[in-house]
Amino acid sequence: MSEFSRFVHIARTDFSYFFRTKWLMAILISLNISDMLVTGLVYKGLVSFDYFRFLVPGIVVMGLFSAATDTGRRIWLALREGVVQYYMTLPVRTSGLVAAYIISGGLGGIVYSGLLLIIAFVVVPPQGIMNAILLLPFLFILATGIAGLAAFFASISRVGEIYWTYAQALQVSMVTISTIFYPASTISQYLPGPIVAIAENNPLSLAASALRDSAFGGSALSTGIVGNLLGVSLPLAGVGALSYWVILRTIRVKGKP
Amino acid sequence: MFAVETLSLSKRYGKTDALRELNFTVDEGEIMVILGPNGSGKTTLLMTLCTILKPTSGTAKVMGIDVVKDGTKVREVMGIAFQEARGFWRHKPSSILKFHASMFDIDPVKRQNLIEQTMKELELWESRDKLFMHLSGGQAKRLETAKVLVQRPKLAIFDEPTSQVDLRGKRKIWDKIRELRDQGSTVIVATNEVREAEYLADRVTILHKGTLVVRDSIPKLKDAIAGGDVVEVGFEDPVADKLVEDLKNLGGILTMSPEGNQLRANVSKAEDWVPRMTSASYNVGAKISTIKITEPSLDDVFLHFTGKSLEENP
Repeated sequence: MSEFSRFVHIARTDFSYFFRTKWLMAILISLNISDMLVTGLVYKGLVSFDYFRFLVPGIVVMGLFSAATDTGRRIWLALREGVVQYYMTLPVRTSGLVAAYIISGGLGGIVYSGLLLIIAFVVVPPQGIMNAILLLPFLFILATGIAGLAAFFASISRVGEIYWTYAQALQVSMVTISTIFYPASTISQYLPGPIVAIAENNPLSLAASALRDSAFGGSALSTGIVGNLLGVSLPLAGVGALSYWVILRTIRVKGKP
Repeated sequence: MFAVETLSLSKRYGKTDALRELNFTVDEGEIMVILGPNGSGKTTLLMTLCTILKPTSGTAKVMGIDVVKDGTKVREVMGIAFQEARGFWRHKPSSILKFHASMFDIDPVKRQNLIEQTMKELELWESRDKLFMHLSGGQAKRLETAKVLVQRPKLAIFDEPTSQVDLRGKRKIWDKIRELRDQGSTVIVATNEVREAEYLADRVTILHKGTLVVRDSIPKLKDAIAGGDVVEVGFEDPVADKLVEDLKNLGGILTMSPEGNQLRANVSKAEDWVPRMTSASYNVGAKISTIKITEPSLDDVFLHFTGKSLEENP
């Protein structure tokens, strides 16, 4: 078996581990959806079909976000339960271990959001299935970016409660200050300009907008939005990979994370 | 070429020196037992050899490959069973073994049989449907050992392989470790259990406070303790002064205390001294009724070389 095959095998094993927590994921997403519905009730008095159409791509992105951030939880557990030390005895380079985790996080995100997207297509007729397919690689990179961010928080958390605090803070900030729940025009009515700018350029907002416009709306895929998505996601994936790599180096030097 | 060779190997955690200028070798095809109390540096040495830890200074080679410069290649030829079992919590034992075997290119055709056989031998087969997180401490530990047995690496490392394992399980693990050696693997076992060391070791290395105190076969280590063997001889009649004088002249004796029909002697090598003692007794007409020889234990050896008992804290 080549080193690359081993790397793929590790990524696949971690990815399969993701499915072993599918019910946890389902609960997390249900909680988010119920949040969204409550928000919808507040936003327009009742969920109209227009709002439903607006919300559905957001739910898909929410699934991607929840599944990708699960990477952080798995990394945190692996670090504390010693599985990482086991991985470090396998004939794979440190960089390979890092990449395997980030990529499996990306896969988790894309598989979960992909399934939600298929369900979404059943309830909201799609206008551009091809666009949705073209978007998938970019959503995968977004998922690796979020997985990277989660890996970063896992790396700097000494105890589980701290990791959960970081993960929840990440979720609240990225989901709340975004256009997943509300359109930018609504946000601008209540919040200052810089917050609106952050919400609009939030990678989750970019992904939700791309889905709304091109997959459900039928518009051509915007290279600008896709470019921004890449521009934001890749550095996040890089930060996560670097921080996970640093934690592995720390184990080599200090014997513990 | 040595299977393992370290030169001035040191590892420091903050202000604590876990290994100090360690020069250590293991021959190919032997079982080297590293004996030492908790905190002696055993696990640090093993973690360095399996490339998890980077030495602070010095070098370590496994099968001639530098553990720092070429860690991936070292990991191809070695396998380690950790002191604390490490596995994917939500995987079953057979999945864990299958993953491990595939990472080390175990023939897919033979893999399943090998895993099943190893699980049965280590009494894990009954627990094959449990998740790792539901295994008992002893089962998890046996699974840790099973990984290395399935892998059959050139260098197999076991860190306290039978801690938390019941007596019957211990014996099985020991036999499998010896079998691994017989199949050509070099084996390192770190332990602080004297019985385990006695059962397994071709040679023993005693580590104390991160330094190598002594390294040799168990009989030679025991012989190195002057007066370590205790010989108790029972005679049919009270021990005569003439016999005591003759025995003193035999040499190799440290202390001797005759009392009635009994004689107790501390000698360096009982196997040399006893035949000479029986001849001397015969020459003076003293009839021997019983002979009891007690060798020093490895704990005595450790005490002799370090001044501390294995059970004491460092």
